[in-house]
Amino acid sequence: MRLLKASLVKLIWRNCNSKTPVLLGNQSSWLTPIFHFTPCRTRNLCTTLVLRKDSTLSSDQTAEKLDLDVWKSVMLSPGLQEEKENENEEGALEGSGQDGEHSPLEATRELVETWRQAGRLVPEQMSEEQLQTLENLSTKSSKKKYLKYLAIKEGHKKARKVKQEKRRSERMIEMGEKKSEEGEEEGDAGGQLKNTFMLQFWQHSVDSLHNWRAAQAMLFGQPLVFDMSYEQHMSRRELENTVSQLLECEGWNRRSADPFHLHFCNLQPEGGYHRELVKRYGASWNRLLITATEQNYVDTFPHSQLVYLTADSPKVLKAFDHNKVYIVGSLVDRSIQTGVSLANAKRLKLATARLPLDEFLHWDTGAKNLTLDQMIRILLRLKDTGKWEKALEFVPKRKHEGFYQPRQTVRSGTFLTDKAKTFINRETGPTSSYKTRTFVNREMGPTISYKTRTFVNREAGPTNGAESKPLTQSGVQTVFKPKRFVTHDTQPKSKNNWWEEE
Amino acid sequence: MMSRMLRAGGDINLAKSLLAYVALETGTLPYELLLSYLTLCVQGSHHSEVFDVYDIMKTRFKALDTGACSLFVKGFSRTERWKEALPVLESIKKKIVPSPRNYSDVIAGAVRHGDSATAWALYSEILDKSLSPNQDTWRSLFESGLSDRGNDESLQSILFYMRDNQVYPEESLTKSIKAWFESLPGGKWTGRWSTVEPSAVCRSCRARLESIKLNEEEYGQLKDRVMKDIIEGQDVFNKTTPEELESFKTFVKRRPAFDVVVDGLNVANVTGKGCQSEMLLAVVSELEQRGLKILVLGRKHMQHPSRSWNRHHMRLIQEKAHCFFTENISEDDPFLLYAALHSGNHCNFVSRDLMRDHKACLPDISTRRLFFKWQRGHQLVLNSFTPGKTVRFQRIQGYDTIIQTDETSWHIPYDEDGGDRCSYEVPQKWLCLTRVD
Repeated sequence: MRLLKASLVKLIWRNCNSKTPVLLGNQSSWLTPIFHFTPCRTRNLCTTLVLRKDSTLSSDQTAEKLDLDVWKSVMLSPGLQEEKENENEEGALEGSGQDGEHSPLEATRELVETWRQAGRLVPEQMSEEQLQTLENLSTKSSKKKYLKYLAIKEGHKKARKVKQEKRRSERMIEMGEKKSEEGEEEGDAGGQLKNTFMLQFWQHSVDSLHNWRAAQAMLFGQPLVFDMSYEQHMSRRELENTVSQLLECEGWNRRSADPFHLHFCNLQPEGGYHRELVKRYGASWNRLLITATEQNYVDTFPHSQLVYLTADSPKVLKAFDHNKVYIVGSLVDRSIQTGVSLANAKRLKLATARLPLDEFLHWDTGAKNLTLDQMIRILLRLKDTGKWEKALEFVPKRKHEGFYQPRQTVRSGTFLTDKAKTFINRETGPTSSYKTRTFVNREMGPTISYKTRTFVNREAGPTNGAESKPLTQSGVQTVFKPKRFVTHDTQPKSKNNWWEEE
Repeated sequence: MMSRMLRAGGDINLAKSLLAYVALETGTLPYELLLSYLTLCVQGSHHSEVFDVYDIMKTRFKALDTGACSLFVKGFSRTERWKEALPVLESIKKKIVPSPRNYSDVIAGAVRHGDSATAWALYSEILDKSLSPNQDTWRSLFESGLSDRGNDESLQSILFYMRDNQVYPEESLTKSIKAWFESLPGGKWTGRWSTVEPSAVCRSCRARLESIKLNEEEYGQLKDRVMKDIIEGQDVFNKTTPEELESFKTFVKRRPAFDVVVDGLNVANVTGKGCQSEMLLAVVSELEQRGLKILVLGRKHMQHPSRSWNRHHMRLIQEKAHCFFTENISEDDPFLLYAALHSGNHCNFVSRDLMRDHKACLPDISTRRLFFKWQRGHQLVLNSFTPGKTVRFQRIQGYDTIIQTDETSWHIPYDEDGGDRCSYEVPQKWLCLTRVD
């Protein structure tokens, strides 16, 4: 029994004498049987086991008691107090100097600092503007949320800086190594010139190409209107998000093969949109090749040409019309307000339309309101190709489960079941339906599928006369095709199968 | 870090040993560790520790954060040094608006030590800042009223506040109210737990309770507000168009006053099975048999014959009732409310919709209370049924579930402990206080 170590003995002693129950977790698991007895019995147990340590134990116990409060004396010690007085003095000097200017913000600054001290998610540096917005927020929870947003943004910036530093240092090391390898032959200029036949193509040239195209679009291109009249419906954060999306839109438009002529209509010069746009673009706002105007689009374009695109509209857009002017409302509704853009359209008695999302996509969960950059990419793709499958690629994949084809191309009397919602490539009409047929019968082996193939051909008869040739040709190929190509045809791809080029 | 584990209900001595270890190792204690230790002390009501921590933090740190201040307020209020909670409250006020919980702690402390003047001053501060007081605050104030007689008026004003804001007291608060009433000198109040019969009569004292019908003035005000805020709102185009609204107004003006307005789409979708127009026809026939003038509201797609909307059924419905069909993209519920209000106080409406989204369009709480009162008194909720069986509606309460008084009695509806009541339901249990002269 002398295996009991001194620390464990102390533990037992403390437990014997403490009045409150102790949750010691795993340690006490083997001690608990002892506690079935009354405390004095355990005490006897302890003392019988460690008689020799009795005197030391009592002093230990008083030492323990003192130990528990030693932190208080440490904290109240004069050494630390002097430090704090020094801090206070410095703080007072600073405070009196800045008091006149910043006294309304001092309280918020102090609030932020105390919250940082207490460990809440708060940024380390805050600008005057940010402090002012923080002060204008009235409730505690809104202040907390704003500070959390600033703290996360700061965290991203710091992480990026750290990464950049690391990359730079690695690159320096690499460069240093390379230089030592190459020796002194190349010299300074040689270090920069690469020995290659490819012409250096600078980003500047690409930019100027895009700008020329945008300028051409302004003269001859199809107009696309962004309606900026939703300032009252959005909060500050939503406005910032809208402007970010508009920036992206402009970028995608400029870089496309055939840009739209963008109009930002109803843009009030003193309004929130304008202020935010100028802040984001800076000097290049004046050099942008778009039209930003205060006027309403009803005044600029004839009434018959306007179509308002909104998700709440009952009419579905069937095909892209190159003569119409489409209007997109620049609204981010994190606070969901249904029907706002439709209300605008109703007031001006405009034609409305919505994208045919339900006709082409197997919708899962998610709002049918799309962001502005998704919209412009869809419209650009639609303008170029005229195909909805290609255009609706830009709808976020989390919102839908894939494209599907309504069952019009499925022939009756085939082996397909009713529930075959086949993910088919639209171009390969009858051939693809035949593909799944072979998949169904795959297990029977090649000979039998050949038989079914011929059987189908006979059955299809005169109606399929024109297609019988491609059928047999494709039939030979698909038997040997691996399974996965047949089932998961979600990608709207050109499969480059040799028979499709006919 | 370990302090957070200790917060799961650990021992104070363990926490102390951790602090001792950290202090000896590093020479100082970080603010967060002290803060979590403070939480532990306040939770476990270790008051001496709270005092010590307060001294330490005051000497060691320049300013305390709002969380620490709230904890100190709570800690001090439970002890004899409750007065020191007041300057801490002041320091919270400089940074943010203190929460009702902070006020409730200080008021409880003041009342426990007999200082009701401070308690009442703080309560008036709560009302000035338009915060909603906790039920605990009220309970402390009523308990103070048992000993201190000077504030009977103020205590009655609390009851009127609860009436105006449609707040139902919890069981513990109700017990304190009962105790206070019974301790009033001279009045000889007695309190009994009771319920109300469907005929609006209290079971214990046989007094008749306030009717659920609105009076003239309230009715006019509600009608006005529904038109302005629910139907028109910020932008009339959100729910309908001006032309449609005008045509509806003329429609209602020309027809005689209706007895019941039916929400066509809501009624038709009562059960999933069966043809929708059949459901509607059954309800309309039932109401017609009772001899009522009916208005059915729907949308234009109901007029197109389809599998759900049978042409024959729709023709029968149009013979039995007046019908109005709105555009498919307009909302039909605001029209329902307008028609029901316009026809007069006797007109009911049939719908299972809770109308909470329309109530939320109203700007202030008194109008919302009126709307809710009117809704409880006039909404006929359909029990689910199949077309063959008879149509049954849920009974409308004839009395208003709210704190009410006449000269000699008070009736207070209350929430039981452990009961689960949704916001659109009202409590069923009452406290009946009668005065015996």
